[in-house]
Amino acid sequence: MLTKIRDKAHGIFAQVMLIGMCVAFGLWGINNYTDSSKEAGVASVGDKTFYQQDVNKAYEQYSQQFQGMGIDEQSLKGQALEKLISDEVLLQYVRKQGLVATDNDTREFIKTLPYFQVNGKFNDGQYKALLNSQKMTANEFVNRIKNALIMEQFQGGIVNSSFATDYDVDNFFKIQNQQRDVDSMTVAIPVLTEQPSDADIASYYQQHQAQYQIPEQLSIEYVELSLAELAKKVAVTDEKLKVFYDEQKDSYTTPERRKISHILFVVNDKVDDKTALEKALQAKQDLATKDFATVAKEVSDDKLTAKTGGDLGLFNAGSMEKPLEDAATTLKLNEVSNPVKSKFGYHLITVTELVAGDVKPFDSVKEEVTKAYQKAQAETGFYESGETLTAMSFEHPDSLQAVADTLGLTVQKSTLFTKDKGDGIAAEDKIRGVAFSEEVLQGNNSTPIELGSDRLVVLRQLEHKEATARDLNAVKTDIIAALLADKAKLQAVTQAKQIVARLQAGESMDAIATEQKLSIKKVTGLSRNKPQLPEPLTDAIFKAAKPVGDKPSVVIVPLPTGEQVIISVTKVTTGIISDDDKKKLALAKKNIAHAFGQAEFNTVVNSLQSSADVTLTPKAQLQEQAAQ
Amino acid sequence: MEILDTTEEERLESAQRWWKENGQSTIIGVVLGIVIILGWQYWQEYKHTQAEQASTLYAQLLKAVETNANDNVQKLADQIQNEFPKTDYALFSGLLQAQLKAQQNDVESAKQILVKIGTSSNKELSNIAKIRLVRLMLANKEYEQGLQLINQVDPASSASFSSNYDELVGDLYVALNRLDQARTSYQTALRNGSKSPLLQLKIDDLTAPERVEAKK
Repeated sequence: MLTKIRDKAHGIFAQVMLIGMCVAFGLWGINNYTDSSKEAGVASVGDKTFYQQDVNKAYEQYSQQFQGMGIDEQSLKGQALEKLISDEVLLQYVRKQGLVATDNDTREFIKTLPYFQVNGKFNDGQYKALLNSQKMTANEFVNRIKNALIMEQFQGGIVNSSFATDYDVDNFFKIQNQQRDVDSMTVAIPVLTEQPSDADIASYYQQHQAQYQIPEQLSIEYVELSLAELAKKVAVTDEKLKVFYDEQKDSYTTPERRKISHILFVVNDKVDDKTALEKALQAKQDLATKDFATVAKEVSDDKLTAKTGGDLGLFNAGSMEKPLEDAATTLKLNEVSNPVKSKFGYHLITVTELVAGDVKPFDSVKEEVTKAYQKAQAETGFYESGETLTAMSFEHPDSLQAVADTLGLTVQKSTLFTKDKGDGIAAEDKIRGVAFSEEVLQGNNSTPIELGSDRLVVLRQLEHKEATARDLNAVKTDIIAALLADKAKLQAVTQAKQIVARLQAGESMDAIATEQKLSIKKVTGLSRNKPQLPEPLTDAIFKAAKPVGDKPSVVIVPLPTGEQVIISVTKVTTGIISDDDKKKLALAKKNIAHAFGQAEFNTVVNSLQSSADVTLTPKAQLQEQAAQ
Repeated sequence: MEILDTTEEERLESAQRWWKENGQSTIIGVVLGIVIILGWQYWQEYKHTQAEQASTLYAQLLKAVETNANDNVQKLADQIQNEFPKTDYALFSGLLQAQLKAQQNDVESAKQILVKIGTSSNKELSNIAKIRLVRLMLANKEYEQGLQLINQVDPASSASFSSNYDELVGDLYVALNRLDQARTSYQTALRNGSKSPLLQLKIDDLTAPERVEAKK
């Protein structure tokens, strides 16, 4: 499955990029070209650094491609990162190799893209409007396309030049269309009724003591430093809370929601400024009697949004040119602006939906503010106390009392718990892990254990109960069942092995079958691609050695039920190219050639990556691992 | 501090003296600098123009391949290799030309082209060419020669390609009916992270008879 994705991912670069872009074209204003210089990078290739948002964006595009294929998010994210890196490595390589895309070829390519076409023809207005909606200049876009094109030149040089010889094709069909004849018998699990002897039960009990034990148990005493507890103790006054509230006002404010639409009158080589303005003014007059969406549909030069009545979606500060933004923010609901000039021409703008922003008054959120304030104040104390806890529990390894007294905490006690299960604080895996560590079992305080980012625990052993054996009588029924099952399975396996040995010695399967009252199932012409038997059997049959001379090759396939299937491969017929295949031979040859080329290209990409300067932050490494 | 006070005249004089001593080399230095800068710019420009011309022809070549315009493929590939031999486009063109020859069953010509690309300094493409060359040898029943060629590949420059070579060695051994060696080579290829879609199939087809007894 994964290889399938990878192969698909190394598709045509421009296409992949454009799939992503057309998704983005639909989402006005939700693009992420914000300043990311403050964040730390996630990965870098040469002098190019990728930030988390680049990965997120790549993931968004990537998940569109593989939607509904049931791949989990983590591994997709890792793959998106992998792809981001391998594409960048490739791009830097092809640049270094001096590959270029000419302006002319790039232009011709862009013209063929359906996104920029109106009635099947490239449309400059559409092109500019779409780029504008991406806040991308024509230059940036052309450069991105050029990058994609040179990567394709390289990929084309390898994948498109690949070939398969007749030998390759023959060889493929020889294996793919191979047929095998088999005889098989199934040895069932015998039903045993005879009770095992007491001696057997006792010895089984002795040998499997670990299984029939009351496990080792432990209880602990511990001190817990908790940010939430500290926060409760922070004193508050209304004054302090108000100051805090004012500082954090953004968290208590719902921003305004403003949905805008526009009608564009383009200014370009054919339409001068004056004409466009006149058209805009005329349209503004028409709007006195006509609906905005209708007029947009009729006259807007932004053909993409015209279809939806000029809708630009939710307004986001900073996503448009200043004059447009000013107009957009000052309009009342359904009010239409005067013509506003941008670098594309004149716009009429209106607000189609307006939900006023809302600041929650202090009194209504006082409780929330109190909690946030207390938490913020308690944090410093939490870290300081944490250091004291660490230091003192180490200096006084024999007791928790001293540190508890110093920090005003109480020493608490747990109930007994095992390595696998516990209640209360012992429900935490980390706590149980440390409790059963050598350090604690020797009677020392543990090192501090972080539970999340806001709890810190130090513990020591209170009571230690070694594992004890359960009474034989209490577990006797279990042991009998286990003994019988073991024995039955062993009998089946032994029987199967004996049969195989006799078959290999040259006895006929018919004779053995009659003797052992087993039935033989014969299947002829079994093929790899059209399985007539359950999958595990077909798999085993085609993985089995071939018969040598007239001596069949025999294997045992254990089924999950414990039954043993004895399979004798009697004949292997080399695959031939069927009449059906012959009709598609040219296609098959092409597919094999393409598979070779793709595998070679992947190897090349790996090779480039192994010599490239790629660094990953630890987090990114984890993400990559998730992709494996 | 009068000693250190220099008059206008003295300063002029010292400047003149300096110029007399160093003037010539300064002029030469500046001129040389300008020549180097211009030359470098010219060279970059020249290289870029060359690349652009080659790129344009290569785009046409790819189109010709796509439409099976074989005469054109031949012509364009020759032209790129003759006029822009130092560019990667020449290598791509060679690979495409070799493909055409192989498809036309002109094995010798295809091999010649691939041998040449195999000696290029581009590590990636030279390995690709060698891999394809061996595949042609396999089809042409030149098994020993194929093995020998792979044996001569420099491991340092082909590390990432080792699983491709191992698989080919396996294929050659199968053709020579040396199945035990073939099996070992295939298994090495698998261990070296081969992504070949057919490899597992080939390994399964070569299960050793003794494994049957070993298997429970």
